[in-house]
Amino acid sequence: MKGYRKYFLNKVGWFLVTFVCAFILNFTLPRLMPGDPVAAIVSRLAQGMSDATGVRAIYQQYTELFGTNKPILEQFFIYVRNVLRGDFGYSISMYPRTVADTLKSAIVWTICLQFPAIIVGWLIGNTLGALAAYLRGAFDKVLMPVSIFVSNFPAFGMAVIFLVIFGVVLEWFPTSGGYGFDLIPTFSWGFMWSVIVHYQLPFWSLVVIAIGGQAIGMRSMSIYELNADYVKYARFMGIKDRKIIGYVFRNAMLPQIAGLASSIGTMVGGALVAEIVFSYPGLGYTLLNGVMGQDYPLISAATLIITVMLLGANFIIEILYGFIDPRVKAAQAD
Amino acid sequence: MKRYVGTLFSILMVLGLSLSACAPAAPQVIKETVEVERIVEQTVEVEKIVEVTPVPEAKEGALPRAETMYFNGQQWGPVVGWNPYSSSNNNAMATSQGDSSRVTMFETPYLYNMLDGEQYPLLADGDYTWNDDMTEITFKLKEAAHWSDGTPVTAEDVAYTWATHVKYNTATGAGNKDYIDTIEAVDDRTVVVKAMLDDEGNAINPLLVAAYVSTNYVIQKAWTETLEERVGGDATAFLADTGEDVVYSGPYHKFFTDDTKVVLVRDDNYWGQDASMWGKLPAPKYLAHAIFKDNAAGSVALAKGEVDVSQQFNSNIQLLWLNYGLPISTYLPEAPYGIGASLPTAFYNLNSYGLDQLAVRKAIAIAVDYPTIIANAMTNQSATFDQVPRSLMNPTPGEQAMYDHEAVVDLQWAGNDIEGAKALLDEAGIVDTDGDGWREYNGQKLSYIATCPNGWSDWQAAIEVVAAAGKKIGIDITTNYPEWSVYQTVVTKSDAPLPEGYDIFMMWSAGAGPTMPWGRIRNLLSCEWVGMANNWSGNWGQYCNPEVDALIQAIPGETDPDKLKEIYTELVRIYLTDIPSFTLMYRPQSFHAVNETVWTNFPHQDDGTEPPVPPMDCTDGWGIACLYNVTLVNP
Amino acid sequence: MKHTIQQVFRSGKFVLGFSIFVAILLIVIVYPLIITDPPLAIISQGTFFEPGIYVNVYDSLGSQPYTLLDDAATNRIASKLGDKERLDMKEWLLDYGIPESEINIADTEQLLDLWENNYDPKENVAGMTNAQRNYYVRLNASLEGLLSTEGTIIAVKNADTGTLEEKGVVAQSDYVNVSQVANVRVLALGTDNFGRDVLTELVRATGVSLQIGFVAGTIATLIGLTLGLLAGYIGGLVDDVIMFFTNLFTVIPGFVLLILISFSIGQERRGAATIAVVIGLTSWYWTTRSVRAQVMSLRNRDHVSLSKLSGHSIAYIIFADILPYIASYVVMAFILQITSGILAEAALSILGLGPRTTEVPTLGLMMNWAMIYQAHILGKWWAYFPILVTIALITFSMNLMNTGLDQVFNPALRE
Repeated sequence: MKGYRKYFLNKVGWFLVTFVCAFILNFTLPRLMPGDPVAAIVSRLAQGMSDATGVRAIYQQYTELFGTNKPILEQFFIYVRNVLRGDFGYSISMYPRTVADTLKSAIVWTICLQFPAIIVGWLIGNTLGALAAYLRGAFDKVLMPVSIFVSNFPAFGMAVIFLVIFGVVLEWFPTSGGYGFDLIPTFSWGFMWSVIVHYQLPFWSLVVIAIGGQAIGMRSMSIYELNADYVKYARFMGIKDRKIIGYVFRNAMLPQIAGLASSIGTMVGGALVAEIVFSYPGLGYTLLNGVMGQDYPLISAATLIITVMLLGANFIIEILYGFIDPRVKAAQAD
Repeated sequence: MKRYVGTLFSILMVLGLSLSACAPAAPQVIKETVEVERIVEQTVEVEKIVEVTPVPEAKEGALPRAETMYFNGQQWGPVVGWNPYSSSNNNAMATSQGDSSRVTMFETPYLYNMLDGEQYPLLADGDYTWNDDMTEITFKLKEAAHWSDGTPVTAEDVAYTWATHVKYNTATGAGNKDYIDTIEAVDDRTVVVKAMLDDEGNAINPLLVAAYVSTNYVIQKAWTETLEERVGGDATAFLADTGEDVVYSGPYHKFFTDDTKVVLVRDDNYWGQDASMWGKLPAPKYLAHAIFKDNAAGSVALAKGEVDVSQQFNSNIQLLWLNYGLPISTYLPEAPYGIGASLPTAFYNLNSYGLDQLAVRKAIAIAVDYPTIIANAMTNQSATFDQVPRSLMNPTPGEQAMYDHEAVVDLQWAGNDIEGAKALLDEAGIVDTDGDGWREYNGQKLSYIATCPNGWSDWQAAIEVVAAAGKKIGIDITTNYPEWSVYQTVVTKSDAPLPEGYDIFMMWSAGAGPTMPWGRIRNLLSCEWVGMANNWSGNWGQYCNPEVDALIQAIPGETDPDKLKEIYTELVRIYLTDIPSFTLMYRPQSFHAVNETVWTNFPHQDDGTEPPVPPMDCTDGWGIACLYNVTLVNP
Repeated sequence: MKHTIQQVFRSGKFVLGFSIFVAILLIVIVYPLIITDPPLAIISQGTFFEPGIYVNVYDSLGSQPYTLLDDAATNRIASKLGDKERLDMKEWLLDYGIPESEINIADTEQLLDLWENNYDPKENVAGMTNAQRNYYVRLNASLEGLLSTEGTIIAVKNADTGTLEEKGVVAQSDYVNVSQVANVRVLALGTDNFGRDVLTELVRATGVSLQIGFVAGTIATLIGLTLGLLAGYIGGLVDDVIMFFTNLFTVIPGFVLLILISFSIGQERRGAATIAVVIGLTSWYWTTRSVRAQVMSLRNRDHVSLSKLSGHSIAYIIFADILPYIASYVVMAFILQITSGILAEAALSILGLGPRTTEVPTLGLMMNWAMIYQAHILGKWWAYFPILVTIALITFSMNLMNTGLDQVFNPALRE
C-alpha cells in the first residue's frame, strides 16, 4: 500500500494542477472570441429607439450586469468567487434566464445519453473483440471488416441513416424529442416508457460506433496476449483454458480501460451531433447555441462541467488502473 | 447468436437502405354500411369505404390529441417569460405584437386582416371614428370584455398601457411617441387616441395612429401597477421581469413550459364566447408547440402528423402531398402556395467603391437570375417577377392596386439580362482595361462581397445566385456568411459608413399591415434612419434623397385616393431608377402549412369565409378566426 | 526496407484498402480532366432533380422522328390511370351519388366518361379535407385528353401577324433516337438544393476533403511525433511538461475547442486551408501519448545504450536508433490522423462552422446543405447518401490499410 500512496499523490497532484489550468483556459477562451455579445442583446432590446443616449444607458446597464467593462483579471476573480458560491451568472443569449437554470435541465439528458452509451458500447465491443480473438474462424472474418467499417463511420452519418431507416421509413421509432410530443413530464409509467422509446435511436447510433472501435482494439490486444509465452506454457502444463482466459483478458483489458477514459472525451462530439439530428435535449446543443450567441457565461460553465466530468472520469480510471495493473505497483517499488 | 450479429447487422443495413424510397404506413381501412336517401323515395344501401386513422387514446399525463393543436416554426428556444411589455421574453406563442399581433393570450382592440386590409373589432365595439380634423380616433370597448381575474376591460387599461410604454421607453413607446400624444379614457368604455400635431395643427402621421389600435396589446392597469411596485420603478428590471402572474384577456394562457415544449390551455371563462364576439369558445383546448432544433426536425414532425400548423420554411413542401399522399396542404394549392407579403431585399452599400455609380448598381440588379432564386432558394414558394412585376408593393391585390402599372412598366426588369447589363457597363466606360477578366472603374477593379447571416438557408441560396450573376458580367462578387449576432450589430449601426465585407447585403422589409405600403417604403428609403446608432428600421445602405423624403412625408396626411396613387407611382419610379436596393423574392408574411390528420377546415383559397380568414397560422390578427372554424376530422 | 514493402503488399487487407483508396484518388484526379464543368455552377432551375438522363424537349421535336409500331397507348394510360387512381375516382363518384352498379373500374372508357360528365371541383363532399380536394383537382387535370388518338400539333407564332401557324404534327407513335438529339445531359446523381450537379461536385469535394485531411494529418502527426520523441527519450522535466500539456488537451474536449476556434476565426478567414490547420492543431495529443509510450520502452534497449556510450548526440540517437523502430507505428498513426481529420471537418461543416460555401465544396458542406433542405426527409437520397458512402469508403479503405500494416508489423496478428 505504501507504493500506492506515492502513486496516488502523484496523480492527485497532477490532476489538481491540470484542473486549475483547464479552469483558466475555460474562462479565457470564450472571451477571446470576437464580437460583443452585450451589444447584440442591447440592439435587440433597444429596437426602435432613435434616442442615442437611451441606447447608451441600456448598454451601460448591461455591461455592468455582465461585468464586461472591467479588466479581464478582475472579471476572472469575480468569476472564481461566484463559481465557488455556485452562481454561474446570467446567460447572455437567454437573458434573463440564469446559466445554472439552463444547464440544469440539459445536463440530465446528456449524462443519461452519454454514459450508458459509452459503458454499453465498451462492454459489448470488448466482449465481441475478445470472442473474435478467441474463437477465430468465421466469426472473426465477419466481425473484423464490419467493425472496421462501422468504427470509423462518421457519427452524423450513423445518426442520419438511423433516422431515415428506422424513424422515417420503417417508423419503428420516433424521430425527435426526448419524450412523446404530447406528453407532460410526470412520474408515470407511460411517460417513462416514452422516454425509453425516444432514447433508442440516439443511443444506438452512438453505441454502434463505439462497439466497432472497442472490438478492434480488444481483438488486437487479445491476440497479442494469446500468443504470449506464458499462455503457451500454461497450456502445456495442462491448466484449463477457462482459467488461462481469465488471466489473458485481464491483461488485455488494461489498455482498454485507459481507452475508456479518452472515449468519454470523444463522446461529447458524437453526442452533440446525435442531439441535433434527433432534436434530443442535452448539453451539446445548449453549448452550440451558446457559441453561436457568444454567450460567455454559458460556454464557460458548460465547458467547465464537461472538463470536470472528464477529469473526474480520467482520475477514477487512473486510480482503478493502479489497482488492476500490477506493473504499476512494481514500478512504484523502484 | 453473437456469431450472426455481424451478418445480421449488415443485412439489416442493406435492407434498410434499399427501402429508402418507400412510402409511410397506410392508414386503417374500415368498411361502413351507410344509409343514403335519394330523391326517388327509395332507401338504397351503399357500401362506403371510410379511411380512419386511429387516434391514440389519451395516455396518463398526455395531452389528448383530439383536443390539442400542435404548432411549429414560431418558438426556437425555451420560453423565458410572460411579460407583454418585454421584447426579450422569447415567448412567440403568447407575446408577439406586430402588424398582425398574436392574440392567443393578450388582445388588441382591433384585428388586422391582411387579405382585405381591414381592421375588425376585437376588444373594441364597432369601428373607430376619426374626428373632423383627423386628429383624434375614438372607439368604444365591448361590454362583455373582461380580464382573467373577472374585472372588466376598461378604457383606463388602454390609457395606462400607453402611458407605461412611454414612461419605461419600451420599443412600442419609443416607436410611437413621436406620433401619438396621449390616450385618454373619456369614460369607462370610451377611448380617445390623440395624435401628435405639427405646427399647422394637423396630425403628423394619422396612418401610424390608426395602426396602433390593431398592433398593440391592452394590458391590465392593476397588474401593471403591481409590476411597477415590484421593480421599484427600475426600467431595466421592468422589462426583464418574467411576469408569471400576469393578467390577460385572451382565450389561452400558460399551461406548461420546459426546454422541449410550451403548452397553452384554453380559459373556459373567456369573454369572447359572448354573442357580441365569436359566440363560442375556440375549438382546440390546448395549443402546444414543441421546440425543434432546426427546420428538418420540424418538417419530419409535420410529415408524421405530430404538427398541425407549421410556420417554418418547409422546402419543397409540395412533395409531401404529391409524392407521399399526405393530407398536407397550404393556402394555395399551386405555387406560390402562400400569399406573398414581404420583400426580402438586397441592399447596396452606397459608400462602397463603384456602387455609387448607377450603371454598376443597375447592371448587377438586372443580371441576377431571379427565376432561379425563386425556384431554388424558395422552392417556388414565391410569386415570380413575371407574375408580379417588381415595385415597392407586395403581391396582394390591395397593394398592387395602389400604383399605376402602365407608367413604370419600362422600368420593371425581369432579370437574367446579361447582354443588357454588359451594354450598360460598356456605355458607362466601365470595361476590362487590363485583360484579367474583371471590369475596372477608374483603374480600380470592381470587387464586392455579397453577404447574409449564416444559417438562413433560403437567403444564402439567393445570395449565391446574386454572386453568380456578377461573374457573368465581369464584376467579381464573392460571398461571405457571418453569424447573425455579428451581422446584426454591423448592419444596424447607421451612424457611420458600413465596414468592409458588406457591399451587397440582404435584409428583410416589412410585410402586410395597416400602414403598408407606406410603412415599407419609409423603412426602405427614408433618410431619417441614417445617423442612428441602433437602426432596426431600414435603409441600411444609407440612401438619402430629399425628393423621396418629401413624398414619404406627404402620404400619411393625404386622403385623395388619386393623388395617393400618383405619389406611390412616383416613388416606385424613383426606386426603380435609382436602385439603392433591389427585391430578390416575395415571401409570405408567415409560412402556413397544415396537416389535416386530426383537424380540418383550415383557411384555404375560396373557402367561403366572410370576411376571408388569412393564412396566419390560426393565431395572428384576423387569422385567429380559424380556431373557431376548425373541426375534428373524426369527431 | 524493400522486404518490408514486399510483405506489406502481400497482405490481403492492405491491398484491398490500398486499391480502394487509389481508385478514389484516380477518380478525383482524372474526372475533372474529362468533365471540365465547374463544380459549383448552378445548372438547374429547381431543386433536387432526380438522377437520370435529361433530353432537351425542344431539340427532340426538331430531330428525325421514327415510327415504331408498338402499343404505346397502354403504357400511356397505365402511367396516368393506375389502380389507385381508379379506386379514388370510384370513391368520389360514389360520394357524389352514382350507384355502384354503374361504375366499373376495369372499363377505362366508361370510367372516364362518367368522370367527365360528373366531376365538379366545386362540389363539397362531406368530410373531405382540403388536401383531398386538391388531389382530385390535380387528378382531373392529368386525365385530359388521355384517350385521344390524334397527335399533338406544334404551332409557331408568325413574326408578322402574331397568329399561330401549324408547323408540324407529333403523332403518338413517333420516337426519336436519343443519340441524335443535340442536347442530352446525363446527371448520374441528379442535382442538389442549389441546382448543382451532384456528381461533379462530389468528386471535387472528395478531393478537397482529402486535401484537408492530409494537411491536418501531417500537422498533427508531426507535432505528435516531435513531442512524443522528446518526451519519451529525454524524460525528466521535459517529459513532465509535455505530458502536462497533453493532459490539458485531453481534458478540454477537442471538439469544443475546435468549435470555439472556428467560430472565432469568423467566416471571412475560414478557408479550407485554415480549417485544416486548426484541426491539425487540436488533434495531436493521442499521437504524442502513444509515441511516448513506445519510445519509453525502446530507450532501454541495448543498441540505444551502445550509441549513448559511443557518445553520439541526442539528435543522432533519436533519428538513427529510435525512429526506424517506431516508423511503422508512425505510419499507422498518420493514416488514422488523416481519417479523423476528414471526419472532423465533416462534423464541423454539419454544424455550420466549416469552410466557406462558395469557394470549394467539401463533403461535410454538401451534407450540411442536404440536411438543411431536408433531403433526408423528402426522400432525395442522391443528395446525401453518396456523400456518406464516399466518407465511409475513404475511412474504410484507410482503416483496412492500417489493419494490413498492423498485421505485417505484428506477425502475431496475422491470420
